[in-house]
Amino acid sequence: MLKSWKLKEVVLMSLFAVVFGIIYLLFLHVGNIWASLIGPIAYEWIFGIWFIVSIIVMAILRKPGAAVIPETMAAAIEVMLGNAVGPRLILAGVIQGLGAEAVFAATRYRHFNVGIYMLAGAGAAVFSFVYGYLLGGFAALSTEYVLLMFVIRVMSGAIIAGIGGKYLVDALLATGSLRGYAITKRDAHA
Amino acid sequence: MLHRMNPSVKFVFITVSMIAMAFFFNPWTPLVFFTGVIFMQIAFAKIAWKTWSLMMLPFLLGAIGYFWTTLVFGNEDSTIGTALSLSFRVLAFSSLSLLFVFTTKPVDFIMSLMQQLKLSPKIAYSILVGYQFLPVLKDEFFQIQQAQQLRGVEVPKPPVKRVLAMRHVLIPMLAGAVRKAERTAFAMEARGFTGEGKRDFYRKISVSRADAAGAVLFLILLIGSMAAGFLS
Repeated sequence: MLKSWKLKEVVLMSLFAVVFGIIYLLFLHVGNIWASLIGPIAYEWIFGIWFIVSIIVMAILRKPGAAVIPETMAAAIEVMLGNAVGPRLILAGVIQGLGAEAVFAATRYRHFNVGIYMLAGAGAAVFSFVYGYLLGGFAALSTEYVLLMFVIRVMSGAIIAGIGGKYLVDALLATGSLRGYAITKRDAHA
Repeated sequence: MLHRMNPSVKFVFITVSMIAMAFFFNPWTPLVFFTGVIFMQIAFAKIAWKTWSLMMLPFLLGAIGYFWTTLVFGNEDSTIGTALSLSFRVLAFSSLSLLFVFTTKPVDFIMSLMQQLKLSPKIAYSILVGYQFLPVLKDEFFQIQQAQQLRGVEVPKPPVKRVLAMRHVLIPMLAGAVRKAERTAFAMEARGFTGEGKRDFYRKISVSRADAAGAVLFLILLIGSMAAGFLS
């Protein structure tokens, strides 16, 4: 899979992972403060933030792996920066990334539009929820409450990661710095 | 001793322990585990406890949030015991993560992932490049912010608008990151870096006797806490 990757593309993923790794950590703290007041559901509505690097990098590079690798890298950076969620973030990163990746893979990496990005955000949300269900012990909560958490997380994934990601990519494209990447080579608005 | 353990070995043990914890809904398993992890840190590691407590604090609060959520929104089978279990689980996970963070050097972690767990050098070195750029990106963040303030861009007060206003700094930063990536990749290739799997390492990270000892400790702790759960 990595053979077709140019080094500049891998380094680009990594630098984006650093920028978003920092943002992810910031929101983790915001989430923690909220969570002490209103419980684990506090994380749900901002969950989409944590999927956004997958969508942005995939929109730019359009290759198999461009969703799951940067998400995992961002998690690794978060661990390197040091925080109390630590190593299990990496596992979470892989799983979330795979959720977004699955949607892009289903289109065979041919369609890139806001609808697909929203689906990818939702896909990441579904995958991450399964993981959260297990590790967070959601099995002890009532079905309605878990369902509510699930719906909020999927919506957050679709809106924040999908629409937000599309917005950021378009703005970045407008700066002209993405020349030489897949996003400018093919029809960018397919 | 925990400092001398191989980062990958530690990483695997911590991940496995966490997944194992996920199957227990009694309060004793995570509580014993949490206490054990703290004792392990006292006995076998040098920890800056002040920083430790500061980093632990938000998760302590989160654990409280978990406690009452489970009490109020729990299903028919959940009791106070389940609620306690879930909040102790939050504490157990956080202490375990801090054990990792406090005893592992970030760069060694990535080097070890590459040498022991066969992470592709292309990815590993790219992550290290990104990590090296952290201070540069931090400076850039402040520069962009100050430049915009000079031109009269105001930071809005309401939190949601403030978050949305982050895009004014984020987009130039990402554009800068794209250019940095190109230059860095070019420099790496110019120095003969191809990212192929077979390579030598100047700094070798190895698995040692400390890992065997650490592995035994982790296993005892894991089995002990599970036993505590079954006995209660």
